Amino acid sequence: MAHGSSLRAIDGPLPAATRPTAIEIAGVSKTFGAGAGAFRALADVSVSVRSNEFFTLLGPSGCGKTTLLRLIAGFEAPSAGRIRLDGDDITAKPPFERPVNTVFQSYALFPHLTVAENIGFGLRMLRRPKAEVAATVVEMLRLVRMEALADRRISQISGGQQQRVALARALAPRPKVLLLDEPLSALDLKLRKEMQTELKRLQHETGITFLFVTHDQEEALAMSDRIAVMAEGRILQVGTPREIYHAPTDRFVADFIGEANMLPAVVLDRGTGGAEVRLAGGRTIAAALARPMARDSEAVVMIRPEHARLVAHGDERAVLSGRIEDIVYVGSDTHHHVILDDGSRFVVREQNRGGPAPLRAPGEPVGIALDPGAARVLPR
Amino acid sequence: MTAAAEHGTGQPLAAEAGRRAEVRARWLLSAPALLVIVCGAVGPLAVMGVYSFLAPGPYGDVVWRFSTDAWVSVLLERDIFDGTLSLADAHLSIFWRSTWLALATTVLALLLGFPTAYFIATRPARTRDLWLLLVTIPFWTNLLIRTFAVLQIIRNEGVVNSLLLATGLVERPVQILFTDAAILTGMVYVYLPLMVLPLYASLERLDFRMVEAGYDLYARPRDVLLCVILPLAKPGIVAGSILVFIPALGAYVTPTILGGGKNMMLGNLIELQFGQGRNWPLGASLAISLMALVTAALLVYVRSTGGREAAHG
Repeated sequence: MAHGSSLRAIDGPLPAATRPTAIEIAGVSKTFGAGAGAFRALADVSVSVRSNEFFTLLGPSGCGKTTLLRLIAGFEAPSAGRIRLDGDDITAKPPFERPVNTVFQSYALFPHLTVAENIGFGLRMLRRPKAEVAATVVEMLRLVRMEALADRRISQISGGQQQRVALARALAPRPKVLLLDEPLSALDLKLRKEMQTELKRLQHETGITFLFVTHDQEEALAMSDRIAVMAEGRILQVGTPREIYHAPTDRFVADFIGEANMLPAVVLDRGTGGAEVRLAGGRTIAAALARPMARDSEAVVMIRPEHARLVAHGDERAVLSGRIEDIVYVGSDTHHHVILDDGSRFVVREQNRGGPAPLRAPGEPVGIALDPGAARVLPR
Repeated sequence: MTAAAEHGTGQPLAAEAGRRAEVRARWLLSAPALLVIVCGAVGPLAVMGVYSFLAPGPYGDVVWRFSTDAWVSVLLERDIFDGTLSLADAHLSIFWRSTWLALATTVLALLLGFPTAYFIATRPARTRDLWLLLVTIPFWTNLLIRTFAVLQIIRNEGVVNSLLLATGLVERPVQILFTDAAILTGMVYVYLPLMVLPLYASLERLDFRMVEAGYDLYARPRDVLLCVILPLAKPGIVAGSILVFIPALGAYVTPTILGGGKNMMLGNLIELQFGQGRNWPLGASLAISLMALVTAALLVYVRSTGGREAAHG
């Protein structure tokens, strides 16, 4: 997962951090309705998307990610804040004057037009010369590998093919930013995996900034250069997939992305970037601080299941101890569900390597050792 | 195939009986529908067809003698002195007037009905029913009464002329009543709901994400209307136009009251032959001609607008 994104950063045209800003969201809020029934979909959101970046808005449904996308497309007007595209303020511009195109979740392809006519629609509306429209349509058909189906109607092609047409239609006018609203959610798993690769390839070949909305954390990790995790109308954290997964700054982010063991703890002693924390069971461990926290403040310690190892009960490396409740074998890994001495639950994920593995059984007392740097302190 | 045939010859009687029972059941099940079609459509049409080839009786009715006179006089008239045939200008002008008035009614109803239907379709779901109710309320009133209401509005002493005189825009009342404009006004008013309802039905189903997609792809509001909304609303436009054009072509009450008998339409001409004219065969042949006209118009219209969609399902 992280491999793809690091590769991307290396062979990209500019080092990620120095690329110019494509979209700047500055203090944007959006409230639907008024009075008692008002719903605040976005609360003072600020974020910048860099040029030529694959940027993902990730969050559960209702977190405001689609609303933010619609504000950028121009379908809704923000209640407060500004939206800038390449430095130009586009907040007040109607959608047809924004060099931004959308791939809709439902595709919203025109049923009265053929595949080729759908792809050429944007350029025709821009009153481009016929020859240019025709040439671009051919190019786009080739880009999404749909040459053979150019004259089909939308109802005559499959869902996956419609997806490609929707992409080609949105890419044809060469927008500065392509907005993708959960475009893969209607596809089955196999097709979705294919389209993930396809989307990355398209972004690479076109060099267009992609702003992708999804609730699927795996999809976000696999495809994005950077991810903004959203919840309840706010952006909780912006970072590379690696940062979001390994160094969440928020309990919600840690929980939403991947699996995490959360142990209640109290902050004891603070050093630079690290602290001593006392776990509920009384053990004291060293952990990284996700953000500055006062001494004695209540916190949780996050430990990813794959950053812990089972050791013999009483082993001196063991930080925690408990009893195995359940063992779940999932092929590449084995998940050990452990009930700790204080009654809380803890999952240890061990990779199944070749060769004999230690046989364990439910009910067996075990110790749990942590990899260096595995524990991370988050506000409770 | 061969297996089935062998099976059939093996038990011929049982198979035959079963098939007969099935055929009988089918006829019984479709009998009510057939009865309605025969009594309500085929029967009367057949009567009209037969009557159109008979001779008129002296006091109406028909004389049972074969004659093509009625059909000849639909388009031609016989000179009463020398018996030569020439084109029946009176009939032709009525055919022509009926056609263009019906077309104009359809176009005007579409121009007025589309914004109305669009307005209703874009209201919140709760208030839509209220607006639809308002559109259908005129149906609760007798057509005659509604037409007289229009007459009250457009007559020389009516609301329109009173207003025009009061504001000093005209010095003498404008003659609207008993003109083609009066017939057109009345017909548009009467048939407008028939246009609004099918248009609403197709606009209500319109996926407004298509409209957003249009705006997103640089379509200005006018382009969105012409390139997205109108094509998607085409089934409603076709249905509404047909529903308005057919009754408008054969309209009777409206041209009688608002046209003042002078400005006849086909409906009036047909009525005249069955009434004062005492020429039932001519009335019957005119009625069949009207049907032929409607059928031809529909074929042309559906071919030119809905062909692609229809072929496509």
